[in-house]
Amino acid sequence: MKVIVDMDVCESHGQCAIAAPEVFAINDAGELEYNAEPDSAMRENVEEAADVCPVQAITVED
Amino acid sequence: MQAVSRAHALDVSSPAFSITSPEVRAARESSWYATTPYGIAILRYDEMGRLLKHPKLRQGSVAWPAHNGVDEGPFADWWASWILNQEGEEHHRLRRLMNPAFSPKLIGGLVPRFQALGDELIDGFAAPDRCEFVGEFAEPYAARVIAIMLGLPEEEWPIIAEVSATIGLAMGVTLRDDLPRIEAALERLYQYADALIADRRATPREDFVTALVNASCDGDGRLSAAELRDGLVLLIFGGFDTTRNQLGLAIQTFSEHPDQWALLAGRPDLGKAAVEEVMRVNPTVRWVTREVLEDFEFQGLTLTAGTTLHLYSESAGTDPRAFTAGFDITADRKPHFGFGGGAHHCLGHFVARSDMSEALPLLARRLPEIRVLPDSSWLPDSGNTGAITLPVGFAPGH
Repeated sequence: MKVIVDMDVCESHGQCAIAAPEVFAINDAGELEYNAEPDSAMRENVEEAADVCPVQAITVED
Repeated sequence: MQAVSRAHALDVSSPAFSITSPEVRAARESSWYATTPYGIAILRYDEMGRLLKHPKLRQGSVAWPAHNGVDEGPFADWWASWILNQEGEEHHRLRRLMNPAFSPKLIGGLVPRFQALGDELIDGFAAPDRCEFVGEFAEPYAARVIAIMLGLPEEEWPIIAEVSATIGLAMGVTLRDDLPRIEAALERLYQYADALIADRRATPREDFVTALVNASCDGDGRLSAAELRDGLVLLIFGGFDTTRNQLGLAIQTFSEHPDQWALLAGRPDLGKAAVEEVMRVNPTVRWVTREVLEDFEFQGLTLTAGTTLHLYSESAGTDPRAFTAGFDITADRKPHFGFGGGAHHCLGHFVARSDMSEALPLLARRLPEIRVLPDSSWLPDSGNTGAITLPVGFAPGH
């Protein structure tokens, strides 16, 4: 599974980090950090993260 | 310190105070912040953007009842229960349980129903060339969208509208005077939620409310019985009040920009941009609230723990440092703050954006040359604002 975040669109609200904290985090500088190739066991949470992103910046690929 | 001496003092708690007044514009030119009876008001775009998601701030609405002298009772208890007023793991658990109701995929499928609803309401206007926009369109539209989302009978919209509009007074500076009405409406909405819960327990459906009810069942434990009731009350009220208000404010703005209304009538593809532009210059949520968790310095000002910051979304959205003047639905703009931001970013924004971006072009096409008629009535221009009644006229023949 591949996770792509469009950082030009991302506004660092951190909703992804609530849905899938294993994959997404907001660092101390307030910026998004994420694992671009998470284990496929994370799939459900990662898709939830993509779904809830307020600016729809997250794409999930196989 | 120079920045401190230039900050104005704003008497925000007065119902006569207006966030769109020359007084606030002057305060914004003088400093990025002002002092208020509640704490600090943030007036400029750049500072609001940085403070909205600042790690040393929490969502601050939790202190609002106390700011208004309301320390206990059913309203104070309900307010404290809001997902908005929870932080950390508690907040995240509730948020993840609520999220499925507001999935953009789900909402995309509802667009034809939003369009049909808008047409039905305009078809039902009593007169060919005027209407009371709030009562004849904004209220039934907002309430029936909630009914559609939550699987409630659409014909029950007047109950949803009446109690939610009354509870919405809690977001305004007259909270204390309105408290008896607010608590009576809250009691009615709890009864409504209890009946809904009982119905789904007796006859489960493939819907969001049933899923929430199941999450509160013995043996599941993701949601307590109290959280279920509190959450349903919030979903019904929160979805109605803001949408009703924002639609009226959109009409106010477009009536002042007839060229933009005519443009939108012919370009329904601009519906989404119209919603964003309206929410930039005329958001119902006039301020987003934060509370300082620990003392820190910000642009020469010491923000002390426990201080409430009100971040003025309208003032930030019209800040000349960030935006060229004017109202233009074709302009490429920076993000507005009408849905707040960060962990507490508005839960219902996909449905609000979707239903309003269908409603506005439809209204523009069917109600050309719209203008506001005399005798409109308004909530205070602070807190959550909007029209209570909004008589409008338009070219006949809708």
